[in-house]
Amino acid sequence: MTPSLELQAVSKSFGDFTAVNEVSFAVPQGTIYGLLGPNGAGKTTTLRMIMDIIAPDSGLVLLNGHPRCRADLARVGYLPEERGLYRKMTVTDQLVFLAELHGIRRREALPAIESWLGRVELAEWGQRKVEELSKGMQQKIQLIGTVLHDPDLLILDEPFSGLDPINQGLFKDLLADYQRQGKTIIFSTHIMEQAEKLCDYICLVSQGRTILEGELPTMKRRLGGNSYRLVADGDLERIDKVNGVQQALFHDGSAKLLLEPDASGSEVLSELVGFLSVHEFRSQEPDLEEIFIKAVRDATR
Amino acid sequence: MRPGNFRTIAKREYLARLRSKGFWISTIALPIMMAAWAVLPSLMVAKARTSQKLAVVDRTHLVAELLQTALDDLARRTADQVSFNLEVVEPRVDAESQRADLDQRVLDEEIAAWVWIDPEMLAENRVEYHAESVSNFITQQALTGALSVAVQQVRLVESGYDPEIVAELSSTIDLDTVRISEGGSRAEGGLGGFALAFAVFMVLYMTTLIYGQQVMLGVLEEKSSRVVEVLLSTVDPIDLMAGKIAGIGLAGLTQIAIWIATAAVLTAPGVVAIMAFLPAGTELPTLSPILVLHFFLLFILGYFFYATFYAMIGSAFNNPQEAQQMASLAVIFVVLPWIFFLPILNDPDSTLAVVTSLIPIFTPFLMVLRIAVKMPPTWQILLGYFLTTAMCVGMIWLCARVYRVGILMYGKKPSLRELWRWVRYA
Repeated sequence: MTPSLELQAVSKSFGDFTAVNEVSFAVPQGTIYGLLGPNGAGKTTTLRMIMDIIAPDSGLVLLNGHPRCRADLARVGYLPEERGLYRKMTVTDQLVFLAELHGIRRREALPAIESWLGRVELAEWGQRKVEELSKGMQQKIQLIGTVLHDPDLLILDEPFSGLDPINQGLFKDLLADYQRQGKTIIFSTHIMEQAEKLCDYICLVSQGRTILEGELPTMKRRLGGNSYRLVADGDLERIDKVNGVQQALFHDGSAKLLLEPDASGSEVLSELVGFLSVHEFRSQEPDLEEIFIKAVRDATR
Repeated sequence: MRPGNFRTIAKREYLARLRSKGFWISTIALPIMMAAWAVLPSLMVAKARTSQKLAVVDRTHLVAELLQTALDDLARRTADQVSFNLEVVEPRVDAESQRADLDQRVLDEEIAAWVWIDPEMLAENRVEYHAESVSNFITQQALTGALSVAVQQVRLVESGYDPEIVAELSSTIDLDTVRISEGGSRAEGGLGGFALAFAVFMVLYMTTLIYGQQVMLGVLEEKSSRVVEVLLSTVDPIDLMAGKIAGIGLAGLTQIAIWIATAAVLTAPGVVAIMAFLPAGTELPTLSPILVLHFFLLFILGYFFYATFYAMIGSAFNNPQEAQQMASLAVIFVVLPWIFFLPILNDPDSTLAVVTSLIPIFTPFLMVLRIAVKMPPTWQILLGYFLTTAMCVGMIWLCARVYRVGILMYGKKPSLRELWRWVRYA
């Protein structure tokens, strides 16, 4: 199946500074795709190039297999990291304006706005000015503005930053809802736990480069490598000396063993039972944070 | 360019302006302010002059009486704007002590000034005038005129002419000013003609700058409220800039249309509401359709130039304080038309008037002034339009480039050199 969105070796420099360096990735239809990386990795610049807000120096952006043109973007919903609304406009006027920019007429937009405002419990606020709303309410309005035109592809830049817990829940429900409808979602974040919980696919970027890209479970299996959880009694000090063990980390009565890449788990275990009474020994998936830190370290080496 | 987006942006800007209180306040306040500027000084000056008390020592015993008549005549003609209260003082033998006494009366503010008419000095066509301030130009000119009339009459009588015939023949002429235009002559008061030229120049000047600045503030608002990135994800930056300029410009045109319609109603024959404010006998000028047409065209051109300039400044900076420093550069272009205002009003065909009104950045203001005073040759008007349009196109090209880059730049205030780099980037 054609990916919903594909980037081919996209680069962008500002003067001497290379913000994005030959980034490539493909977002399959109907997935939640995480663009991960520390602050300043080039995530926002990448998303801005997808939205044609800034032009890439080189490389291609494909939407549904075709080089994207401005008109296609009316079918995309974009929530920038820096959010804002016109303070002096009423909520309804503001949303109608955003809908009209996506080619939806006022008459068609009004019922949708009403139903959305009801859904986020702001039905009474339609005729109030934006400046009268609380920050949390404004976040909801901004989200409605992003999805009002029922886009096929949602692009969210750091969607959870600055959100109160209620709105975070609202966002997550919405993402799940969208995925059920077979739509595609891309979001960027620097918080790994969030990505781990929500994403099917991820792309790790650091200093403008793609470091890792792919399906999250596969990646974990591939990069999980040699990491085991051990619960045991005995002379725990000796674990480090066992052949094939790179490092042992103790935590709450259990140990996390990082083995040499070519060491075998069963061989290590057979040595361990020689001096320990082992209660539990199993292969452990690394969390995203570990993968990320390791990948960045390998990439800079 | 996507016409749909351009229209949506322009509509939003237009309605946002028309729904703001500021629009309606300025619609009402500006005409009141202008009327106040035009009428108050003349009222104040008139008040200052009403009771000018003047002592006259006439050692010829001939001039004082006729001077009184001449001054009365002057007061009648100017509707009491220039009037003197004359006190004829008998000359004393001791001239020195009398002069000292009169000086003291001026210092005590009993009288404003005193005049000494002496036969020997009069033979040399001279009369003495003593006052605390000797720079009161209007008073002195009026007095010189009245004295000349009186002395002429005395001399004619001395030469053997019949006093009655002399009085009859030396009556002053009033100028009934009539402006000649191709549409036919029509009578117009000097003051009315001035008021029209002033109003037309002033309104164009104020609206161009006010609405130009509105564009700058609008761009800054979008930038600082961060709305701009949401907009840019669906709208081309050029559509955004053009839509904003068009929408705010339409609001400006609406305001001007309201003023012109109001002026047309107030000055319509039979409606003389405005007459109460003007000195008696002033003929009201009427707005000719051709002047209104040029006014609108020149507003559009001038507005486009300044609005694009201000949009560029708004996009390049982060807040109004930063932007204001750059915007004050524009003040240089904006103050100069005022320097040329009076010379052009005085002689609308002078080389100075022709040259300055053809300099593109001044054309909107100065050409409308010339049209209001005296219709310039057609080739000059067309050349003015052509040059200004060319300059606008250049300005739009330049500003669009800076705007594209600047609108997404936050943080450090850019230097002029960086702005130039942005122009070359795009």
